[in-house]
This record gives sequence, C-alpha cells and structure tokens, in this order.
Amino acid sequence: MTYQSKRGLRGLLTAGALAVAATMPLKVQAEETYNLALLSDFSGPYADIMPILAGGREAVFTWWNETRGRELGVKLNYKNYETRYDAAQVASLWPGIKSELDPIAVVGLGGPDVAALSERLPEDKIPMFMATAAYGFAWQPDAWIFNPRPTYSHESVGFLNWMREQRGGDEPLKVAILASEASPAYVDMAKGLELYAEEHPEEIDLVEVIYTEVQPTDLTGQMRRVVRAGAEALVIQTNTSIVVAAKRGLQANGANIPIMMSSHNGLPASGGALGGLEQLEGDFEAYGMAIAADEDTPARQFYETLVADYGLEAPWNVVTAMGISQGLYTVTVINHAIEANGAEGLTGEMVREALFAKPITTEETHGFLPTLSFTPEAPFPLQGLKVNVGTVKDGKITIEATGVDVPHVEKW
Amino acid sequence: MVYFINDIITGALIGLLYSLVAMGFVVIYRASKVFNFAQGELVIIGGFIVWFTTMQAGLSLWLSIPLSLVLAGLVGYAIERIFLTKLIGESVFSMVMVTVGLLILLRGLVLLVFGPAVRPFPIIFPLKPLFLGDMLIPMNLLIGGIITIVAAVGLSWFFNRTRSGLRMTAVAEDHVVASSMGISVKGSIAFAWVLGAILSTIGAMIFLSGKSLTFLASDIGFAALPVALFAGLESIGGLILAGVIIGIVQSLTTNYLDPLIGGSLGSVVPYIIMLAILLIRPTGLFGWRTIERV
Repeated sequence: MTYQSKRGLRGLLTAGALAVAATMPLKVQAEETYNLALLSDFSGPYADIMPILAGGREAVFTWWNETRGRELGVKLNYKNYETRYDAAQVASLWPGIKSELDPIAVVGLGGPDVAALSERLPEDKIPMFMATAAYGFAWQPDAWIFNPRPTYSHESVGFLNWMREQRGGDEPLKVAILASEASPAYVDMAKGLELYAEEHPEEIDLVEVIYTEVQPTDLTGQMRRVVRAGAEALVIQTNTSIVVAAKRGLQANGANIPIMMSSHNGLPASGGALGGLEQLEGDFEAYGMAIAADEDTPARQFYETLVADYGLEAPWNVVTAMGISQGLYTVTVINHAIEANGAEGLTGEMVREALFAKPITTEETHGFLPTLSFTPEAPFPLQGLKVNVGTVKDGKITIEATGVDVPHVEKW
Repeated sequence: MVYFINDIITGALIGLLYSLVAMGFVVIYRASKVFNFAQGELVIIGGFIVWFTTMQAGLSLWLSIPLSLVLAGLVGYAIERIFLTKLIGESVFSMVMVTVGLLILLRGLVLLVFGPAVRPFPIIFPLKPLFLGDMLIPMNLLIGGIITIVAAVGLSWFFNRTRSGLRMTAVAEDHVVASSMGISVKGSIAFAWVLGAILSTIGAMIFLSGKSLTFLASDIGFAALPVALFAGLESIGGLILAGVIIGIVQSLTTNYLDPLIGGSLGSVVPYIIMLAILLIRPTGLFGWRTIERV
C-alpha cells in the first residue's frame, strides 16, 4: 500500500467516524432490563399446543422490546421453565426461578400454576398473568394471579344464553356437560355452570353432567344418555381427546348435538385430532378473546406483523391467539407501570398496581381482548364481560358472533 | 331394561379390552416374574407404530397391521435385549425397577420421536355400531372382545399345553435352576416381551380406532392393572372373567351411580375392587398359591 493510499484510507475512516458520531444522540439512553418467568408445558398434557402458544407470547415480547421498549429504554428478558402442567413441579421450581431471575412478573399457563403459586406470589410480591380463562377456586379478592378472561363457566354461560336466543322460544336450553376429575380445573368448569343452571332454571336445563377419563375408552353409552335427555348443546371445556371420543359417541348414536369447546381444546385442535375440521361442522368454540378465523380483523393484521417482522412461525389459530393476547396484556400492564413510575426500579408490586390503575383497552391489545378493567375484587374483570363465538362452516372456521354479553355469574 | 342390558354388554366389552392389555402384564410376568410397569407405554408405542405405518407411510390397513405387529415385536425384543438381558440371575426387584425407568424413558422417546401433537388414529374397525333392536354395540369393542377371547384361549393353551410355554413358566420360577436344566432363559424372556408388545399393539388398535392418539393413551395400562391383579398375575384365562366383572361393574357405576352422586366413581371402582380382592385373596381369583416346603 502506498503512502497516498494509506492517507486516503485514514481520511475515509476519520470521515466515517465523524459521520457516525454526528448521528448519535448526545446522551445514549441507558437500557433498563427486567425479567419475566414463563411457565410452560412442553412435555405434559398440553405439550401439543405449547410450542405454538409459546411462539405467540415470545413474539410479542420481541415486538415490544423493538418498538415501545426501545422508546422507553426498557428491555424485557424472558426464560421458559418446564412445569409439565404439574403443581408439584411448579412449586419445586419456584424458589429457583425467583433467585435466578428475580422476575417482575410471571407468565403462567394453567391451573397447576395457580394451585402452586397462589399462596407464594402475594408474599413474593410478583404478579402472574395467565393466558386462559379464570377458575372459580381462584376467585378471591386481592389476587396476585390475573386472567384476561372470566371463568370458563362465565364463558359457557355467555355462549349458552346466546345459543338460546338464537334458538328462540321461552324454554330453557337443554345442556349436557362432559368433564373430567383428572384436574381440579376441569371439575371447576362444570361446577360453575351447574350452579348457574340451578339458579337460572328458566335459562338452562342441565340434563346430564358426565365425568370421564382424559382419554376415554368409549363414550357411546354416555352419549346415548345425552341424546335421550334431549340435550341441545354439549359443553366440553376439557381436552381434545374427550371431544374426539364424544364426537365418535354421538356419531355412533346417529346424533349431531352441537359441541361447545374452549380455546385450549378448540375447533382447530379437536378438528385436527378427528382427522379434519369438516367433522366439526356446526360445532362451536366460545371464549373472551378474538376468534382466529380467516376474516381480516385488527388481531389478524397484528399477527401478520409478528410473522413478517418478528419471527413468529406459529400458524394463525386460537392457540397462537391465546399466546399473543397473553403477551399483549402483560406488556401493556408493564407499559402502564413504566408510565406511572418511570423506567428505573420497576417492581412486581408496581406492575400489579398499574393493572388496577388503568384499563387495558382493546386497542392496546390490537383487538385480541375486550377492554379489561381489573379491580382488587377478583382476578379477572367483573364488568363488561364478552365472549366471541366461532364455528365451522363449509370446513372453515368463521366468526359466528362477537361481543356476546356474559350475564352475572355468582361465585361458587 | 334394554338400556340396562346394553350397558352390561358394553361394560363387558370394555372389560375385555382391559383384559387384552392386562394379558401383556401376565405374559411377561409368567415368563420372568417381572411386573412390567411400562405396559401402558407399550400400548402407545404400538399405537404410534400403527399410526406411522398407516397415516404417515400411507400403507393400506391390510399391509400396515401385520407390519405394525412385526415392528412392535421387534421393539419388545430390543427392549429386552438392551435393558433386561443383563439382569438375568439378578433379583426380580431390579428388573421391576428397570420397567419403572422404561415407563419414563418410553414417554420421553415418544415425545422426542413423534412430537406432542394430538393425532387422528386410523379407523381400523367400522365406526358404525352394531344395532340389536334398541341395543347399540360399538364395533371396535365387539371385534376387540372376540380377539381377546381368542388370544386368551390360544395363550392358555400355549402356556399350559406346550413345551415352550411350560419352559417359560419354569424360567419364571428360578432363572438359575431353569438355566441349569438347559432352558434358554434369555430366549424365554425375550419371547415374552415380544408377545407383550404385540398384545399391546392389538390393544392400541381396539382402544384407539377412530379416536385420537397422544401419550395420554398410556393411562389404559393403569386401567388394566386392576384386571391383572384381580385375575391373579399368572392366569390368562382368569383375565377374561376378571375383565368382564370389572367392566360391567364400572359401566353400571358410570351409567347409574355417577349421575346420582355427580362425580366419577366409575373411574375409581375398578381400583376399589382390586384393593378388596388383594385384602381377601392376595394372589387374585386365579393366581397360583405358592406352597413353600421347609
């Protein structure tokens, strides 16, 4: 290299360095980092849906870090912990999670997390945000565990009242429940609806409550009882295996009673397990969250953004929607907490206070959730509850109804 | 009355399915005195093999069923060769502990190899039930019941009337003595595991036909446990009676008591029967009473 070329290169580097320096802000904003503990089930009963749900919530954290988080100078780190959907496993992991991460919030999955941590989190002053509907056994004031959706019983009651209105007439809707004693959460789903039906006999006539195993051997006999009782709807909020066995039982009886499923065992999951969505033609899924149908909705558009720009690989379905909505209301609450307290020194307690201080609007969750107004009275919003209803038409999931009102349900 | 009889028939057929799965327990126990805690896991391994050959490889049922049985037999053989053959002559307890380890290992392997998704299981038996007047009998359970009875008769004859079967019984009595008498202990135990895996695969086909396949299906192993203990762990013929009794009691409890109490007593009642029989007659209904001469 000649002297002249060396001088030229030095000049070029100097000019480049000056240009970079000129574009930099005078004071580089310091980045605050906070941790989130993600409780996951990659090898237990929900192992089939976990990768998709995890993909949804993690993509939201990436999106928030690169957009709003960057503006605020905050980064949210997260780490998944394998719980196998087992309360004992959650309880044994928790001390380690706390000392390793010192999280400002826990992102939970289901009933075992609630059972294991409901006594610990108030002491540790760390809130937990769930993806699912709430549980009657956890319906207590001054909660530290929060659900964006009301209880499963609220959701089924909302759906059944909508169905009765669609049917018309003054008679109560004849309903059967298929539940399982394999999990306290499954029993809870049935108990809440049973109490509502008992208190509102003019609305719901509960003709059968059947408990079965999580992988039933045969439900032909049980479904015959349901058919003979004249049920107009069958509520199954447990798992896909029970939906499949019930469907086969109904088919064996030559009956086609509409099944109502929830989000975690909804139309795509149960349809897949049955060998095709067309087998669930005319069945329903209902929950207080956006339905992942083909229609172009704000929720769908946000999902497309996550896919295009933030590495989300999960398909557009209810489980992904559940993960995204969980991620969105978690980051929105943290956002509110930062707005109220500043980016530095944020604690779990501040995050919980922010949840009560300000509603989480439906715009902030891109239409995935209705506007949520939490109060210290319950772990889920008690006012303005809505459910959306999806169904299968011509082999495709379509939105049947949105913003269906949920009536008042007494605590059980 | 018709529905009552129908519930009895369906219950008996479900009980026969439990008997078939329990046959896997008994075959392995009769050849090695080892209680295989991973019996339910053998059912899902068999289920996944059937699923793979039909739904993934796209083979016709006529081809995939025999192929699945052969592959299941090979899996049983491999399990015995890898995990159990080195324990021959050691205490039975250590072999039983290996089956507990197998339970965890096989569950993990299923997740690792096939993933966690719930899969549609092929429709092997007709979905349309058999109608007898007002009675309705699920076809998979009916055909399964016939298969179970045929298998029980065949295996009883094999164990009680053939030299190979009697040799396997001798192996179970004492590995060292059987070996000194020129009986191939390794061969007998390996054959029992091959048979156990094949029976489990047939059980998976009856249990899961037209339903969904996940590792939750392994719970059938626990459902079959009361049948095996009720019959007595050495009696293949006794499994039929025990299965029918437990199935009928469970069905009647599920259909007539559960609606009254609002719970799932039907899932628990087989275990209550099992505990009661263990208290009254620890060897089960048809189990062998060991006479020890001092």
